[in-house]
Amino acid sequence: MAQLVETHGHTHDHESPQAKAENLKFAMWLYLASEVIIFSILIAAFAIFRVRQPEMVDEAREALSISFVSVNTFVLLASSWAMVMGLLAIQKGNNESMVRWIGLTGVLGLTFVLLQLVEYQELRHEGIALYSETAGRFGQRFYPLTAFHGAHVIVGVIWAFIVMFKGIKRQYSPTNYIGIEIFGLYWHFVDVVWIILFTMIYLI
Amino acid sequence: MATITAPLDRPLEGKRPHINEYLRWSVDHKIIGVQYMVTALFFFIVGGALAMMIRAELLTPALDVAASGQQFNTIFSMHGTIMIFGWIIPMMAGFGNYFVPLQLGAKDMAFPWLNAFAFWLIPPAGMLLILSWFIGPIEAGWTAYPPLSTLFSGDGQTLAALSLHLLGISSILGAINFIVTIKNMRPPGMGYFQMPLFTWTILATALIIVLATPFLAGALTLLILDRIGGTKFFDAANGGDVLLWQNVFWFYSHPAVYIMVLPGMGILSEVLAVHSRKSIFGYKLVALSSLGIALIGFTVWAHHMFTSLTPELRIPFMITSMIIAVPTGIKVFSWLATIWMGKIRFTAAMLFGLGFLSMFVIGGISGVMLATLPFDIHVHDTYFVVSHLHFVLFGGAVFAIYAGIYHWFPKVTGRMLDERLGRLHFFITYVSFFLTFFPMNFAGMLGMPRRVAVYDPKFQTLNVIISIAGFVLGVSTFILFYNMFDSLRHGKKASANPWRALTLEWATSSPPPSTNFIEDPVPMSDPYGYGTTEAEAYLYGQEQQFGPLKPAHFEAALLAAASDDSDPLPEGAGD
Repeated sequence: MAQLVETHGHTHDHESPQAKAENLKFAMWLYLASEVIIFSILIAAFAIFRVRQPEMVDEAREALSISFVSVNTFVLLASSWAMVMGLLAIQKGNNESMVRWIGLTGVLGLTFVLLQLVEYQELRHEGIALYSETAGRFGQRFYPLTAFHGAHVIVGVIWAFIVMFKGIKRQYSPTNYIGIEIFGLYWHFVDVVWIILFTMIYLI
Repeated sequence: MATITAPLDRPLEGKRPHINEYLRWSVDHKIIGVQYMVTALFFFIVGGALAMMIRAELLTPALDVAASGQQFNTIFSMHGTIMIFGWIIPMMAGFGNYFVPLQLGAKDMAFPWLNAFAFWLIPPAGMLLILSWFIGPIEAGWTAYPPLSTLFSGDGQTLAALSLHLLGISSILGAINFIVTIKNMRPPGMGYFQMPLFTWTILATALIIVLATPFLAGALTLLILDRIGGTKFFDAANGGDVLLWQNVFWFYSHPAVYIMVLPGMGILSEVLAVHSRKSIFGYKLVALSSLGIALIGFTVWAHHMFTSLTPELRIPFMITSMIIAVPTGIKVFSWLATIWMGKIRFTAAMLFGLGFLSMFVIGGISGVMLATLPFDIHVHDTYFVVSHLHFVLFGGAVFAIYAGIYHWFPKVTGRMLDERLGRLHFFITYVSFFLTFFPMNFAGMLGMPRRVAVYDPKFQTLNVIISIAGFVLGVSTFILFYNMFDSLRHGKKASANPWRALTLEWATSSPPPSTNFIEDPVPMSDPYGYGTTEAEAYLYGQEQQFGPLKPAHFEAALLAAASDDSDPLPEGAGD
């Protein structure tokens, strides 16, 4: 039996900051879900290649410098840590500290991108192009994958500096830091993807 | 005892926004919804004109209308791409944008800015798609299989891929917005199982979009790299794999079939229940079957590749493809049981709803036939497939869109469409649609391949029938366009709730004010509880609030058919 629901007079609170923060966070998770899928296609393309033509990957690895990339990986991990510290700082109400930590996040992210460009240069000297008859099949799996990730890092760096700028203008508070939180979700995601890529491409 | 929204001391009068509002950036979901729909209708005309060219070419077995076979390839490739990505998907997004917040009693979507941004990606994407015609036409069909799309198509293929990238981003952003809106913005008292079924299907559709569209993005990225970056992902001669494209593309595009048809199923649930004054039969199953379709839709992609697939994988995909008919069947039987013994009002919306039911079932049955492996290998790449896909996409999605237009036009514009023209539109469309696409089954089974400009003269009789019916079908569309243009100015004024429906989009004026509702609407616990005393009380309350729902000049025949739902009110119900 249908009944009208007795909620008359109850006002919607979809406009409240908490509700909006909830919406943003949920939307970010959905966005990351679709990102996971794009990355998994590229990763799968690499994995199939790794299984089918292991010798080509082994050969290419001689050109890759694992220690160099390990340092770069450490830089990205450190930036994630700076991100966490920045979030903790704003939760405690320390705006200046938050600005410094998020700024550090951005700088470390930028360092990662620059070091990756250095690595690309090195590989080019070794003759690994996006496509070439000899080592090309490695290049076409390697560059799109890492460059796509790199593009995400670049977006993250810009985002970090926007957050920092907003922090300088005191737009966040211990009760309103959702902007930092969703940036954090994105940044940690980019970090986790790199750990998977690093393992796939350089280690196993 | 039931509570009814108290009558307001001021009349709820929504005004149609000025035309300029539609031409610029706006974050109002109603403006954006109309922007989507008008853009989609434009692409419908473009895609329809291309279809007419295809049928003109196929009137004779020889090459006459198109300048070359390549040009014919371009015509049907553009027809498919435009109809799918420019017409059906944006049109459904338009309905969703306009009606989901209204059905939830909300003021807007969760992210109005994002909503506008998602829409404004579509016009540039459409322009890229049309430009591709001029800089080196695409020739690989809407499916863009390599090596056709890598070695043969012109530079337009790259533009088209970029265009689809933009459309993909647009639909992912839109879908995220829908999911968040539906999860978090429901009014108090409306759980998931009190949601209108159209909103349910938009939820299922949005989930598919978020999870499937990235596959298209991945595939297009690889295609663009192959075309301009010199990579060989899809070049078998150089260590690539053509099946990689087919797998990834169909992993998106099969679910995309449900992106196109699920919202149509939602529209159908609304239309059939409202116009036959019956509660939805098996509401929960209808709602959950949408999720079932969404889920199983991800497991059937390789049935598009039966002839290129590893043989041992054929049977598993044949089985999943048949299983997906089950949730669809649940919906069809629920709809039949819904209209069974109903007080059916044969409005244009209802007629198109019934048209969907009959034609979609034919498309569904030919779908199960195609899922059957031995049969599929026989009719693979023939006109049988063309018939099937048009029965589900035109007989299904487009009929549902027509039903939705006739059902919701009064809400959007504040004017009724002309019902007589609507019925004329229905009868001509229905008959010519059937005569266009059903004979294709025969042509297909006799072996006429799809995507050819030149064919065996023995198929000419069939093709002439198909083409003539196709031209009538094309012309019938203009009845709808004339009706819409004419009714905008001269149509009868629509009341807040001309169909006496119970969902919340009808609980405000037509068209709704910019805030949607003057005060928070109270949802019914059963959005389809027609004929219950609560529903009567609710509708009575609405008449107190908005004035008579059925205008005095409402057509007598419809009025008579609908009269029995204005039974005398139970005592005290109008408090």
